[in-house]
Amino acid sequence: MESLNHKSALAETHLVLLHPDRRIGADMARWRQSGGGKALARAVQDPAAVREEIRLAELRGLGGSGFPAWRKWDAVAAELPKPDKYLVVNGNEDEPGTFKDRLLLEETPHQVIEGAVVAALAIGANRVVFYINPDLARSLAAMRTALEQWRTSDLPALASTALGKPLQLELLPGSGHYIGGEETASMEWVEGRFPFPRGKPPYPAQSGVHGCPTLINNVETLANVPHIVVHGAAWFRALGKAPGTGTKLYSLSGDVLHPGVFELPMGTSLRELIFVHGGGLLSGKPLKAVFTGGPSSTLLTPADLDVALDFDSLRTRGSNLGTGAMIVISEGTGIVKRVAEYERFFAHSSCGQCNSCKVGTATMSRLLDRIDTGCGTAADLASLENLCTMLPNSGRCHLINGAVQLLDSAFHHFHDEFRQALR
Amino acid sequence: MSNGIPLAEALARYRPDADIGSLPELTDTDTLLNAYHPDHLRGSVVKLVVGANAGDSCQRELAEFLQSEAFIDEADLAGTPVTDIDVLVIGGGGAGCAAALMAAEKGARVLLATKLRLGDSNTVMAEGGIQAAIEPDDSIQRHIQDTLRGGHHVGDPALVSAMAEDGPDVLRWLIRQGMQFEQTPSGDLHTRRAGGMSTARLVHCRDYTGLEMMRVLREAVIQHRSIEVWEQSPAVELLSNETGQKCVGAVLTSLLDDQLRIVRTRSVILATGGLGRLHLNGFPTSNHLGATGDGLVLAYRIGARLRELDSFQYHPTGLVHPSHLSGKLVTEGVRAAGTLLVTGLGRRFIDELQPRDVVCAAILRECSEGRGIRIDDQRVGVWLDTPRMERSNPGLLEKQFPNLMTRTRVSGIDPRIEPLLVHPTLHYQNGGAVIDVNGATTVPGLYAVGEVAGGIHGSNRIMGNALLEIISFGRRAGIAATANRDRGPKKVTLEHVNRLRRALTLAGMPMTQRAPQVLPTYAAGGIWNR
Repeated sequence: MESLNHKSALAETHLVLLHPDRRIGADMARWRQSGGGKALARAVQDPAAVREEIRLAELRGLGGSGFPAWRKWDAVAAELPKPDKYLVVNGNEDEPGTFKDRLLLEETPHQVIEGAVVAALAIGANRVVFYINPDLARSLAAMRTALEQWRTSDLPALASTALGKPLQLELLPGSGHYIGGEETASMEWVEGRFPFPRGKPPYPAQSGVHGCPTLINNVETLANVPHIVVHGAAWFRALGKAPGTGTKLYSLSGDVLHPGVFELPMGTSLRELIFVHGGGLLSGKPLKAVFTGGPSSTLLTPADLDVALDFDSLRTRGSNLGTGAMIVISEGTGIVKRVAEYERFFAHSSCGQCNSCKVGTATMSRLLDRIDTGCGTAADLASLENLCTMLPNSGRCHLINGAVQLLDSAFHHFHDEFRQALR
Repeated sequence: MSNGIPLAEALARYRPDADIGSLPELTDTDTLLNAYHPDHLRGSVVKLVVGANAGDSCQRELAEFLQSEAFIDEADLAGTPVTDIDVLVIGGGGAGCAAALMAAEKGARVLLATKLRLGDSNTVMAEGGIQAAIEPDDSIQRHIQDTLRGGHHVGDPALVSAMAEDGPDVLRWLIRQGMQFEQTPSGDLHTRRAGGMSTARLVHCRDYTGLEMMRVLREAVIQHRSIEVWEQSPAVELLSNETGQKCVGAVLTSLLDDQLRIVRTRSVILATGGLGRLHLNGFPTSNHLGATGDGLVLAYRIGARLRELDSFQYHPTGLVHPSHLSGKLVTEGVRAAGTLLVTGLGRRFIDELQPRDVVCAAILRECSEGRGIRIDDQRVGVWLDTPRMERSNPGLLEKQFPNLMTRTRVSGIDPRIEPLLVHPTLHYQNGGAVIDVNGATTVPGLYAVGEVAGGIHGSNRIMGNALLEIISFGRRAGIAATANRDRGPKKVTLEHVNRLRRALTLAGMPMTQRAPQVLPTYAAGGIWNR
């Protein structure tokens, strides 16, 4: 690793989405000067070609699922409008350690809007809802200004003509609940109800907001769209380190010298992320573990340092890239405490409509708190292990799975630490 | 040049009825301050490198503590019991008690944690009194002007006017709590004029105003059912949310069992007082044992802006002799009552009712120019001419300053016969955390009141404003802290500590010094040390 020149490696950290030319805030004039609107112009010519390009680019859902974007797009495109079609831009970002979408929304709002409008054209959606975490005041303000600039420009007319009906762009602050980021929960909120996740099927592509075909994509996913349209799928694929394609915004936090958002080729190794871009661990302590943030957090250990951080490589390790959040824990930090905190977060975030999740997360949190405060017994630990086998896939959404996966992963790597904390 | 007149020789020369000469004209205050005040000593000020005040000047010893490594790490928090509460008040002096009482009155569950015992504070040492514009010829405006002028116009006018406006109401509140004040024969509150005031404004309870104040506040706090008090529980670190931007609690330790405890809360009120026990520039101090500047360190580490970190008040009349009382105050009230300062040569050298920094600089000038009275290499001072005052006002000392009389009597000194040997002593931290009129610092969820807060006294405090400040802003912060009704912290972290560590590492600073100090190194049991 020492052979890597620190400076030149850092120069590559902002490739596409966070290129300095893009980070201009809500400034339409400057955005168009630097090539903004090109993708839209191209999409207007041939909307169907956009989908093909996205498929070839192998763009994945960057909000944590890693689901191929084109499959959702094609499903929605195949549906007839009833009478509308919706695109929900998911900016509910609330996962621990994730802070990339807020940066995109705040500093590159036009990039996000263009991506959404191009996607809307490609699938024939006439309603675009920007669904954003209400606590992100600066992101909301930037988006509000940027959308105002769109409405007074010629771009919506251009898109509406291509679409054949008026394109409506709407900014909607979310509910402030973590669960509101789940795709069907967000639709409930758009319809004006508490964000309870819905059962599937029907899938949003068939029946989403108000029963209309609905596509929901993460902010980062859509921000990539204009660049793929302009530069082509081959260019995008080449950005990543195979099998990854494109770039990824990694949110690095925890005990590192330089925490922050880094845009790196998809598939960059954990070692490079932490030791080159993150400047290494704080106070020179050894690395203990990394929590990958997102809907289903897992733990990486020093043994995983050379694993490529892309969806497929991590999945084969039994882990998950999630939102690309990497929370670095140095030696000397108690795993039990951290896991207890996460489970408390999950218990706090459970919407409560599925009994197994409501009671399961609360019970796990309570048992972990007992172990963490030194009151736990071997029976408590056994109960937790039992819950890990009983609870998965017992809820409508993935929250319960995320809660279990984290605990399971912590047991797998640090079982001794849990046992030592017992009374 | 002799280095001072030996004590015995000076005592032999001393006559309470001798002619002390006319008062020399004070021509240039600024030159005097620049030449002799400890804040202006060469090498006593450095620039801060990291944190919210990077680039600002700061007293050297304090800067080392502000830019230091924390005592605790994430690892220390494993298995730590957690307490959830609405408002945490750190500090058991007057400001902390006032804040706790008001917060509890507003319906909050309050935890008051104090390093030593409830009431172990500098509040109890405030002897002179409390300022409030209540006299017919006085006004709030004059109080504001006196405070700003006394502070060399460095103070924040908004804070000063808020405090001055509160003055009469603070007295009313204190009287309702049961506090006694000196009264005139007709039953009005008795006022005195003190240094830096344009009129009589100092309301007092003989010469133990602060002690009397603490008596009633302490009782009220103990009796209040919504206030829990943890004694001997110093705070060793604040806690922040996951971004390190908001204060969501604190880590307390216990001097009894060394057990760490996490307190999760919506608001933290810092009322930790000053830092006299850091003995800046090697001065003795009038402060109580726990005054080690912990609040400044904790606030700075979590990102709060501080101000006037290079400005401290040295009280002109700290006792030099006997040695076990070294640094202890002779209240300014004694000078307000007409006692003069004279040199070892028996000459008066300064108007005793000038602002404290000026009087202090004048005493240091006399001492350094060889006109002081010297006991040994360490100790030198000037006379506080109490026998002369006793001659003109027989019985006044006994009646108005019983506290002073008691303390000196047990040491075998009678101030009615023998003058007191005094030297400036490190007394008060003029600056502190930047606050607004509600005591809120620049960090959400964190409030600072009392000596740990800054902006009110500018670069010099005038007498009687400290007692007013602690109650005025204590009450304001107590009310404001309960206004936050959010869902409480999701997560408590030490992210702010990591942020400072990053900054220190990047700036290439050493991380050997650890803070807060909790107790002075020479205290019984030694420094709190894990």
